[in-house]
Amino acid sequence: MIEIRDLVHRYDGEAAVDGVTLTVDAGEWVLLAGPNGSGKTTLVRHCNGLLAPDAGTVRVDGVDPIEDPVVARTTVGMVFQSPRDQFVAATVGADVAFGPENLGLDRDEIDRRVADALAAVDLADRRDERIDALSGGEQARVAVAGALAMDPDYLVLDEPFAGLDWAARRSLLAHLDDLHAAETAVVLVTHDVRDVHERADRIVGLEDGRVAVEGPPDEALADLAAIDVRVPE
Amino acid sequence: MIAYAPGETVAHRLDPRSKVAFQFGLAIFAVAHATPRGLVASFALALLALAAARLSPLAALRAYWVVLAVLALGPLVAGLAFGPPWFRAAPALASLASVLRIVPIVLVSAAFVHTTPVRDVRAAIQWAVPGRTGRLLGVGVGMTIRFVPVVRGDVAASREAIRARGGDVRPFYERAGGIALGSVRRALRRADALSVALRARAFAYNPTLPALRFRPFDVVVVFGALVLAVSPLLPGLVP
Repeated sequence: MIEIRDLVHRYDGEAAVDGVTLTVDAGEWVLLAGPNGSGKTTLVRHCNGLLAPDAGTVRVDGVDPIEDPVVARTTVGMVFQSPRDQFVAATVGADVAFGPENLGLDRDEIDRRVADALAAVDLADRRDERIDALSGGEQARVAVAGALAMDPDYLVLDEPFAGLDWAARRSLLAHLDDLHAAETAVVLVTHDVRDVHERADRIVGLEDGRVAVEGPPDEALADLAAIDVRVPE
Repeated sequence: MIAYAPGETVAHRLDPRSKVAFQFGLAIFAVAHATPRGLVASFALALLALAAARLSPLAALRAYWVVLAVLALGPLVAGLAFGPPWFRAAPALASLASVLRIVPIVLVSAAFVHTTPVRDVRAAIQWAVPGRTGRLLGVGVGMTIRFVPVVRGDVAASREAIRARGGDVRPFYERAGGIALGSVRRALRRADALSVALRARAFAYNPTLPALRFRPFDVVVVFGALVLAVSPLLPGLVP
């Protein structure tokens, strides 16, 4: 379980996240929605120790991500906005292997993880291709595979649909459905819950760094529009 | 810009250490044999390396045009004189001969970059320089090879953004300033994003690197590299 209690994070003295309490259970699908500047990205970066809280606590399966970042980063996989920014290698296979290599795993295990992660996003036959030769949707899937190769229990995706056309969104969503069916918890950060709200077990709406809405989709949708989140008409 | 491209050429299959050895050998050979025959032999070896990498010489020259332009300044500056006749051919030609010796080395390095994955380069560096120094060097070289093309792409994007809004009618210094500022901003933003992405994927200075494999053909290449390296001691090799 990811447990966030009374989390506060400030930039230059101004609170971007202001007293948020939130839990994500194993295998759950949570939509984290909110307009630009509501603190979504700041909040999720605490989940694997990329940011340290100014106040409050974060625990991932009981572990403080700041004290043990390696455990946190193998338990929580992160996929950022603009996948292009997180690629560290020129080819698909080399990039997906980057995380497992950092864990010091043996070569056979790394190869197995890369193969499994690419198979999970339907890119098994693209392993040797250059990333910059792939379409935007395929690059988004490579980014997901890079996170999956860490063998995470929780997958956090920060606005993964930005810049993707409908076909690419649908393809990525189908892969997320498969991962969720395989017991991986999915936390999807978005400012637009259309297409995705039906998949969620729970929707959490942020406004000005605070939780403004929380509940199952059928209850939360009506309140999301009030905080400038696009909802189905 | 030359960047690694996956492939199945002879050069792709070589161990990166063999390719580095060949580059060193050729560099020693090119510097030591300053005769026209030596120059021809250096170019022939460089073309052989490009052929083994299936990389067009023109593409390699185009990719390194900035380096070549800087090299071309050498003979021009050497020929300048502070008085009539203002330009002297003899020192310019002597400088040109020196500069030309560098071109084959540049071409071979293009073949190396085109055929060697960054991780293999890093593995070769850490094999050659063990310990912390090798790890730092490996990370630095790996990141540089990976991101020079990206930064060049950012510069091109800044240039296009200026042109798209009619900025090409502005004076050169204004355009250059705009491109430089835009490129630095993009590069810094990208560096921030990359730093977060590296941490999110548990970046380590001592990761599992690819296994380097020395195959029979590597022996041939390393032997050739050795011959080139000791060629200054073999006066009959290039008449």
